[in-house]
Parts: sequence; structure tokens; C-alpha cells
Amino acid sequence: MSFERSARAALADEQLRGALRHATTLFGERRRAAMATLPDWEGARDRARAIKDETLLHLDRYLEEFTANAERAGARVHWARDAATACEIIGRIAAERGARTVVKSKSMASEEIHLNAALAARGLEPVETDLGEYIVQLAGEGPSHIVAPAIHKTRGQIAALFAEKLGVEPSDDVAALAAAARQTLRRRFAEADLGISGVNFAVAETGTILIVENEGNARLTTTLPRTHVALMGIEKVIPRFADLEVFLQLLPRSGTGQRMTAYQSLLTGAKRRPDDEGPEELHIVVLDNGRSAMLASPVTRQTLACIRCGACLNACPVYRQIGGHAYESVYAGPIGAVLSPQLFGLARSSELPYASSLCGACRDVCPVKIDIPALLLHLRAEVVGRRVGKGGVLERLAFSSYAAVMARPRLFEWVMRAARMLRILPPIGAWTKFRDLRPLAPQSFREQWRAGLRDQAAP
Amino acid sequence: MRTQGSQGVRTRFTEELAAAGAQCTVVCGAAEAGRALARTLAGVHARRVVGSDAPLVQRLLHALGDGFVLEPLDRLSRDELFACDAGVTTAQWGIAETGTLVLESAREKSRLLSLVPPTHVVLLSAGCICESLGDALARVSVASHAITLITGPSRTSDIELTPVVGVHGPQTLHVLLLEEA
Ligand code: SF4
Repeated sequence: MSFERSARAALADEQLRGALRHATTLFGERRRAAMATLPDWEGARDRARAIKDETLLHLDRYLEEFTANAERAGARVHWARDAATACEIIGRIAAERGARTVVKSKSMASEEIHLNAALAARGLEPVETDLGEYIVQLAGEGPSHIVAPAIHKTRGQIAALFAEKLGVEPSDDVAALAAAARQTLRRRFAEADLGISGVNFAVAETGTILIVENEGNARLTTTLPRTHVALMGIEKVIPRFADLEVFLQLLPRSGTGQRMTAYQSLLTGAKRRPDDEGPEELHIVVLDNGRSAMLASPVTRQTLACIRCGACLNACPVYRQIGGHAYESVYAGPIGAVLSPQLFGLARSSELPYASSLCGACRDVCPVKIDIPALLLHLRAEVVGRRVGKGGVLERLAFSSYAAVMARPRLFEWVMRAARMLRILPPIGAWTKFRDLRPLAPQSFREQWRAGLRDQAAP
Repeated sequence: MRTQGSQGVRTRFTEELAAAGAQCTVVCGAAEAGRALARTLAGVHARRVVGSDAPLVQRLLHALGDGFVLEPLDRLSRDELFACDAGVTTAQWGIAETGTLVLESAREKSRLLSLVPPTHVVLLSAGCICESLGDALARVSVASHAITLITGPSRTSDIELTPVVGVHGPQTLHVLLLEEA
């Protein structure tokens, strides 16, 4: 389905729009309240962005430093050029250890590479353990929001889903639903031999990875199984341990409107002594998958500053109406509209740079000040320049005629006169379907000028 | 780095703990800590209790008396651990501005006990409260392969953004703040 068609379908879904309205509005209110608790919000944004810019300028160096320090602490670091390589590496780690049950905590990168499908193809059973991810996995869907994967579902829909899949009594009580998931997932945690997590930040200076969460499922995933695999995009690295402070001030506030999430796990290598707690092995898979191409120019490079807080989704007037699935990409909303075409190819996502009114709300809320509107315009230019969009021929013809007419005053006047006489309007149905085009004036200004306005205007 | 453990910082810490949904009891000396621990455990109807290897925790647990079953941490299977009612650990640091506890793996075996049982009781020395996250980050050592920051009980808002406490981690987080006797 095209973006336009799926967006239209989403617009017709009253339940979806109710759920979205509720959630995105609440997210926005909580974010603003939490922001106010940090004395210098703007200063923190600037510092965070400066750290990201510095890192991205020397990303190769910081990645090498991170790798060396993580390995010195006992982790194994694997490099994956693309999605297939990453899936292959993780699949092999699982196979070599004879793993059967794989527990997963939230990782957008794993969604990006379709890791679950790859593991299932090897006969493994990956179980999502974040409540929201668990819900969408049970429903056979993908996440529709970076932070709240099941944001598109009402509690009634989730109750029906749990009744069907888990055999529990249907209940409208959110606590009862969460308890049902906890019970089922505890059994999976008890038998899991491999845990897969994402990474929020990776510290070059110490080789530490940091995982942020509220539920405790990421802690279980990274503590109970014998082997822990952490999957991270190359952009997750930051230079210094002390840099974590500003990001931990910005991320929870922007993401969920919390001053601090319940848990932060800072993991540096594998366990040191045999009787230490935790996994025996830590494997860190560092994923490129199209990211390094964004380093080439300053405009596209800032895409990699994103800390996946989800604030731009909640603020976006387009996302708020249609939700995440309409974007038909694991990354939805404003950041998805700029990330997806760069990761998965402009041809596959040529409509997404247009899924925006360019109002700038995303830029205003972004904790690392990514200029998403500028990126959208850059990508629109690419779509036109590389002629990958649909309806290219007519549109190009229209714009080149428009340019020709606008550049020649005589021709312009002649065309306008003809349009007035023949009462024809340009074929811009998509525009006029929702708006009225103002009728043409009976006489243009230039005609009025020549017919005497000039004399009246003279002193 | 500013004065750690000063009265202002301590007050802020206990206020923020409450705001994050944790309980806190201020205790003076080991004897009072022991009594508070027994009261706290009884308050959540905990029977099977497991403590970390921190000497203070072991001392207090062994003085608990009847009514509790002490599980040995080293010999617990996953299923036995899942059946425990409460885990008792210390925390190495507190962070006043957010009511956060900092647990370092090199200092104590507290990773699972602070996570798996439905109640987590934490002993923290009042002198170890830092003012800010930055202060705490400057103090911890990555000689610990796992440093865990804990702020309030486990929670989720994944269904209609409605807060629920106690999803995968503890539902109850109780801090016993130790003042010097
Ligand atoms: S682009 Fe900015 S606002 Fe959007 S998810 Fe990334 S960091 Fe958050």
C-alpha cells in the first residue's frame, strides 16, 4: 500500500485516532511538565547536540576506542555492515550456544533488521518482554511508536487479545493486564538461555553500554541468561562517561516525561569472576546498515544525533492523526520520515519526506535540536532530482512550464489573460480538494496600473 | 562536587524517593535498622527472604528471628529465586535530585535480589548521598561490570499511558536510610 492509502485508512479508524489523541496529548503534557524541572533546558539541548556533533565528526575514532575498551573489559564486539550480516552474527551466536528460548528487551535496531523473523527462520523463539512490544508481538504487528510500541491500541483491544492468546479472563483493568503479561513472561525468563537487548548509549572512554527502561525486563534480559547480545547502531557512541549526565537529563524527560526512568543499567564488559552475577558472555553487535552514508554531509549527518526519544512523534500533527503504521517503516513520525528513506532507500520511501506540513514542531521539541524540516526539504529535493517519486513526468512538466512562465513577464501576462478568458485553472485537484482557490481578479494589477492607476498614484 | 550527606541533600533525597514511589525509613544504628527491616518485611507479608552478601545485610537478616525463611543466595535456582518474597541489599550511593539508588556489582551481589522478588529493601548510609547524577557518575567505578541506577519501583505506561507499578521488577521499594548512631 502507498503511504497515501494507508494514511487514509488510518484516518477512517475512529478507535485508532481516539487512542492516538489520548496518548500523544498526555505525552506532550508530561514532557512539558518534566522539562520545567531542569533549570537550563536550552543549555542542556545545546550541550547534548555539541557532544553528538563532536562524536559524529570523528565517529571512526570513537567507535574504535569504544571497541577497544569494551573488549578489554571482556565483551566481544562484532561489526555488521548491513541487516543480513547482523542477523547472521546473532543467529550464529545463538546456534553455537544451542540456545532455544531467546528473551528480548526493546530494541528499535532489532526491528530495523527484522531480527525476530531471522531467528524464527533458524527455529528459535524470540520473546519480546517489554509490555508494549509483547502486545504487538502477540498481535502479529510491529511497534507504532519508538517509545510506546502499542500506543495505537485501546485497553479493550488489548484485553481481547490477551483473552484470546493467553487464555486469561478479559479485563479492562490495566494492572490485571500487566500482571497477566508478567506471569507469562516470568516463565520465559526462567528458561531463557540468550538475552538480546538494545543500547541507548555506548561510552567510548570506558566501553560501557547503557540501557534505559522502566519495567525491569531489560535488566532481566541482561542478567539471567548465560549470553547477552546487545545490538547498537554506530551512532550510539558518545565520548566520555561524564557525558551520560546530560543525555540522562534529556532522554527520560523528552521520551516519557519522567525525570528519571526506573532503571539505568551501565554494563561494562562481561562478568569478571566466575561467581559474579550476570551473563558469562557479552556480545556487542555494532550495526551500520546505511548509517555511515549519512555522515557525508552536515544536513544528513544530524539524523544520527537522534536519541530515539519519540518526542517528535508526539508533537507531529501528521503522526497524531495517522499513527505509526501508516508510515510502513519501523521508524515512524518525523524522524521516521527522514530516517527511513536514508536507511532503506529513497525509492522505497519516496512519499515519506512529504508526510509533513513543515510546521517545525518536531524541531522545537527535539532534545538534540535536529532540524527535521531542513532534512525533509533536502530529501524532497533528492526525490525530485533523482526522479524516484511517482508521477514525476507530469509534475516536472508542470514545474518547468511554471518556471518558464514566471521568468517572462510578457508571457505571464498573456497566460493569465488567456486563463481568465477561458476560465481554466491549472489541474491541481489534490490542492483544491480540501481548499478553495481564490478566483482570478477581473483585471490584473498591471492592467489597472496601465489603465490609470499610475496617474492616481502620482503625487 | 558539593557536600555529600548534608542535611539539605538528605531531605531532598527522601522527598524525591517519595515522589518516585519508594518508601523510606530513617534509622539510627544497626539495632534500629534491624527492627525497621523486620517491620518492613512483615508489612509486605514477606516470608521467604533472600539477602545479598553484604556483611551488614547478613548481620541484620540473621538477627531477624522467627517468622522468616532465609534463602541462601548462592544455591538458589531461578525458580526458587522467583518464589522469594523479598530481596535485601545495600546501595553504594544515593542521588538526591532524583531519589535514585546506585548499586555496583563489584561491591555486592545485588543484581538479581534488587530485581526479581516483588519487594526490594535497600540499606543506604546517609553519608553516601550525592547531590546530582553527575556527582554520582564521578564516584562510581567501572571496575563494576554492572552499575544499576534504580529510581522507584518497576513500572510501565504501555497500555493507554496508564501507570502500573510492578511489572517485571519489584512493586515495593523500601529504603532504610542509616544515620550514624
Ligand atoms: S529526532 Fe529528536 S525528537 Fe525525534 S526521536 Fe530523535 S531525538 Fe527525539
